[in-house]
Amino acid sequence: MQLLKQGAEADIYVTEWHGKKAVSKVRSPKAYRHEALDSAVRRQRTVHEAHLMSAAKAAGVSTPFVHFVDPDNAEILMEFVQGKQAKDALDVKMCMQIGRYAALLHGANIIHGDLTTSNFIVNNRLVLLDFGLSYYSERMEDMAVDVRLIKEVFTSAHVGLRGAFPAFVRGYGSVAGKKKTSQILANVKEIEQRGRYARVE
Amino acid sequence: MLCLGIESTAHTFGCAVVDEKGRILSDARAVYRAPEGKGIHPREASRHHIEASHGVLKEALSQAGAGMKDIDLVGYSAGPGLGPCLRVGAVVARTVAGYHKKPLVPVNHALGHIELGAALTGASDPLVLLVSGGHTMILAFLEKRWRVFGETLDITIGQLLDQFGRAMGFASPCGGRIEKLASESSGQYLHLPYVVKGNDVSFSGMLTAAVKLASTSKMADVCYSLQETSFAMLAEAVERALSFTGKKEMMIVGGVSANKRLAQMLEMACERQASRFFACPIKYAGDNGAQIAWTAILDYKKTKKAVKIPDAFATQSWRLDTVDVAWR
Ligand SMILES: Nc1ncnc2c1ncn2[C@@H]1O[C@H](COP(=O)(O)OP(=O)(O)O)[C@@H](O)[C@H]1O
Ligand SMILES: [Mg+2]
Repeated sequence: MQLLKQGAEADIYVTEWHGKKAVSKVRSPKAYRHEALDSAVRRQRTVHEAHLMSAAKAAGVSTPFVHFVDPDNAEILMEFVQGKQAKDALDVKMCMQIGRYAALLHGANIIHGDLTTSNFIVNNRLVLLDFGLSYYSERMEDMAVDVRLIKEVFTSAHVGLRGAFPAFVRGYGSVAGKKKTSQILANVKEIEQRGRYARVE
Repeated sequence: MLCLGIESTAHTFGCAVVDEKGRILSDARAVYRAPEGKGIHPREASRHHIEASHGVLKEALSQAGAGMKDIDLVGYSAGPGLGPCLRVGAVVARTVAGYHKKPLVPVNHALGHIELGAALTGASDPLVLLVSGGHTMILAFLEKRWRVFGETLDITIGQLLDQFGRAMGFASPCGGRIEKLASESSGQYLHLPYVVKGNDVSFSGMLTAAVKLASTSKMADVCYSLQETSFAMLAEAVERALSFTGKKEMMIVGGVSANKRLAQMLEMACERQASRFFACPIKYAGDNGAQIAWTAILDYKKTKKAVKIPDAFATQSWRLDTVDVAWR
């Protein structure tokens, strides 16, 4: 297998599955984590990722097709998706589409957990990856954490692209509706105030 | 150019003299200690700072072998921090700068940590982990400002350690005591909530769980597990941010960076991302006047901007990512 990418967490290899180009995502042990903690984290994320990737697809979000899961080795074999990382090709239209995807996930009570521009691949469509930190929740607060994260990404890595977050919000609103969107935005504000200015009490 | 820096955001009242090469000619500090099992009380701390200010200032000047006539510039920490404490620093700065007619420069406290850390370690364009009582932030410099690439969603790592320690009746700051206890553990890992969301972390669930664990488990093992879990979260968040930003340097600054286990884990996280690891020397990891003096020099040399004495205020929640940095 050939190493394609070192992700934020996992190693991504190119391989084949029944004659078709495929990707093997392997979560190798992290030396800095205690062994017991490390194996629990890697196993749990692998299982969640495989499961929620399929659930997201059912919710209308384009994700790679999962071929095979091996929790013991923290490995997922999935469809190879051709294209660039959204991070390197981001425009306002894409931000809107990211917003639509987020709202579709949230509508199915799926929290992505790592909504960032390196976790999307673009070709003629937008494909969402990396569901290792995903989970189910009905809580607005958890949905707001997703939104806050992508906002953080837009205002840091993509400060140069104007109107990114407003476009995201438009896309989100077109799926989730005005009421839910403004509730979530209010939650985002609350989280921002909690973290960023925290002081010793 | 000699700069007098005045730090007064939380526990520490500090004055230091730094020259334009970044040499620290003096570094005087007085640290407020809360009673055992208690947190910092802003008003008590500010009273401490008022009483300590004259002595600390005098010591900083005499250590440096300088009088106020030799000082070219005064910098003070203008936030973020505790209101009553910040005001003491601002008043001292206004008085000194006003009386001796020196240009006065307000400095963002978090920026002070970063700039002195960079000067002392030689890091040029690092991803920064700022960990202290008041901050848990992952930062990188982009388009004129330090941008936030990750942070805590609730309490800071310093608050986690201190609030856990205080619940155990330790004297704050509790980090040192917890580190020592952890080193006495046989390595028995007890599971605690591990919460990483993107490059962000959350510690409040862990605090509750650790306090609960302490009533049924060995203190050393709880401290060990608390460190292992919370530091691994930080290491992972840093690794994620390194992967995202592609930064080839990583630097840790702030009071909690004195912890050896944290530094060790971060170094391992940097290895996989092929980034060089830099740690601010322990002596200057905590709050001090040298951070403020050095940052004031960088700022003033580049912008020649000072504030008028009556406009020299402090802001409790002055966000680092709103500060334009002219010298980078
Ligand atoms: N199915 C795939 N097809 C093509 N490229 C992929 C695929 N999965 C991952 N990648 C590439 O690898 C990178 C890291 O993958 P990701 O799932 O995000 O892992 P990590 O959790 O380590 O961030 C992605 O940004 C993408 O460039
Ligand atoms: Mg990823």
